[in-house]
Amino acid sequence: MKIRTLEYFVREVFLSLKRNNWMSVASVGTVAVSLFIFGMFLMLVLNMNKMAESLESQVQINVYLEEGTTSSEIRSLEAELNDMQGVEKVTFVSKDEAMERFKERLGDQSSILDALDDTNPLPDGFEVMITQPELVETAAKNIEQHKHVESAKYGQDVMEHLFDITRLIRFFGLVLMLFLAGATLFIISNTIRLTVFARRKEIAIMKYVGATDWFIRWPFMMEGMVLGLFGGILANIILRFGYSALVSEIYSALAFFPLIPEQPFLNYISIVVVFGGMAIGAMGSTISLKRFLEV
Amino acid sequence: MAEEKITIALRGIKKLYRIGDQEVAALGGIDLDIKNGEFTALMGPSGSGKSTLMNILGCLDRPSEGSYRLDGREVANLSDDELARTRNQQIGFVFQNFNLLSRISAVDNVALPLVYAGVKAAERKRRAMEVLEMVGLADRANHQPNELSGGQRQRVAIARALVNNPEIIMADEPTGNLDTKSTAEILDVFTRLHEMGRTVILVTHEPEVAMRANRQLLVRDGLITRDEGRGVVLDVV
Repeated sequence: MKIRTLEYFVREVFLSLKRNNWMSVASVGTVAVSLFIFGMFLMLVLNMNKMAESLESQVQINVYLEEGTTSSEIRSLEAELNDMQGVEKVTFVSKDEAMERFKERLGDQSSILDALDDTNPLPDGFEVMITQPELVETAAKNIEQHKHVESAKYGQDVMEHLFDITRLIRFFGLVLMLFLAGATLFIISNTIRLTVFARRKEIAIMKYVGATDWFIRWPFMMEGMVLGLFGGILANIILRFGYSALVSEIYSALAFFPLIPEQPFLNYISIVVVFGGMAIGAMGSTISLKRFLEV
Repeated sequence: MAEEKITIALRGIKKLYRIGDQEVAALGGIDLDIKNGEFTALMGPSGSGKSTLMNILGCLDRPSEGSYRLDGREVANLSDDELARTRNQQIGFVFQNFNLLSRISAVDNVALPLVYAGVKAAERKRRAMEVLEMVGLADRANHQPNELSGGQRQRVAIARALVNNPEIIMADEPTGNLDTKSTAEILDVFTRLHEMGRTVILVTHEPEVAMRANRQLLVRDGLITRDEGRGVVLDVV
């Protein structure tokens, strides 16, 4: 494209935006809102993913000991477990502690334990944290080989549930984001449709005197892109401030909550929101122009 | 002389539209040769197909069937961009309702086709002024269309049609919105263009306008039913 032509296009775009000033403001506003919601869900989905990942990676094996294992045997077993490859942390859970936890989990229904008459059928045990989820299965098998170990269980079911939940969130997040992208497309194409409609006679004249379809299309596409750009920038500013505020709020309350750190995360979000807005703007105007290019 | 060169050659041109289950032929198979430099009037009642024929001649629309050779080139084989270039370079259009852009001055309106031809701004201005002078409106160059009379607007439109120096001028009822005096002025401009050697095609339903041409064609029900020289009064109704 020649510089001269580009100049002409840019002038056309800003003339048109000025001419439809309130329409332009309204559509920038609606585009900003819908890109904001889009960005919010994008952030939510990415954080969910990250959370699921960090949960997936905190994998724990529950080790149950044989009845009558002495405390010195327990200590030496603890040392052996600590030496194992891929083990991050070993915590001893005595049978009394296990009973306490069990009672806690039963809550209101803990009275059913009265039937046990103060005997405690739970064994002593360890909670073994493994560094990488892939190592869990072999680690559990190895632990079971040790003397005094009755069984070593890891939360296979829990992990599978977790995978299901992550998948679900990813899926719904994707559906929702597609929906919002569609809504943004609709808003922009409607705005452009109005400007195109207001200028349909002009478009016809341009065609009569020999403008190519692309020559007519470009200014409208650029107008859509500018609307998307401004909307995207607006949404992006709110998203950045919002996320920063949320991160500092959550860190002061829940220090170990695994949120994605602001940088460079926010930059990626900005790129997606702003360029996404522009792309959708260009697409929106192409859609609304199609009909009017046929004289 | 160049008079013998055939600029427009139509063979079996049909334009079909579907309305519901029915196929309607707006043009039912037109054969027509128009020589270079001819001044032709295209007459016919509304609904006769003369506007459809005009759109096809002007490369604004493509025929459903048949061959249209413009300067020996088959129009059906041209891409949309090539059609646009043809409209820009080879054909100048004049319309009944002038079709000027209301937000720009007369000279900018005239220069519009040059924008699409990729001509530099200074050169655009120069050439636009030149043709405005030709139609006698150089003193009105910086007026907006709504500051001009009907006849002046039509002369601006003619100047725009001429600015790329096209060989063919197509005018669709160019005097339809004008009073008698302006009509005479505009027709004088077309006559002068013809004398300068341009091919002029004029769509009209007024016999007195058509009388200005050397050749009169009558379109009826999508076919050319009469093809006469000057002097014959063709009654449209």
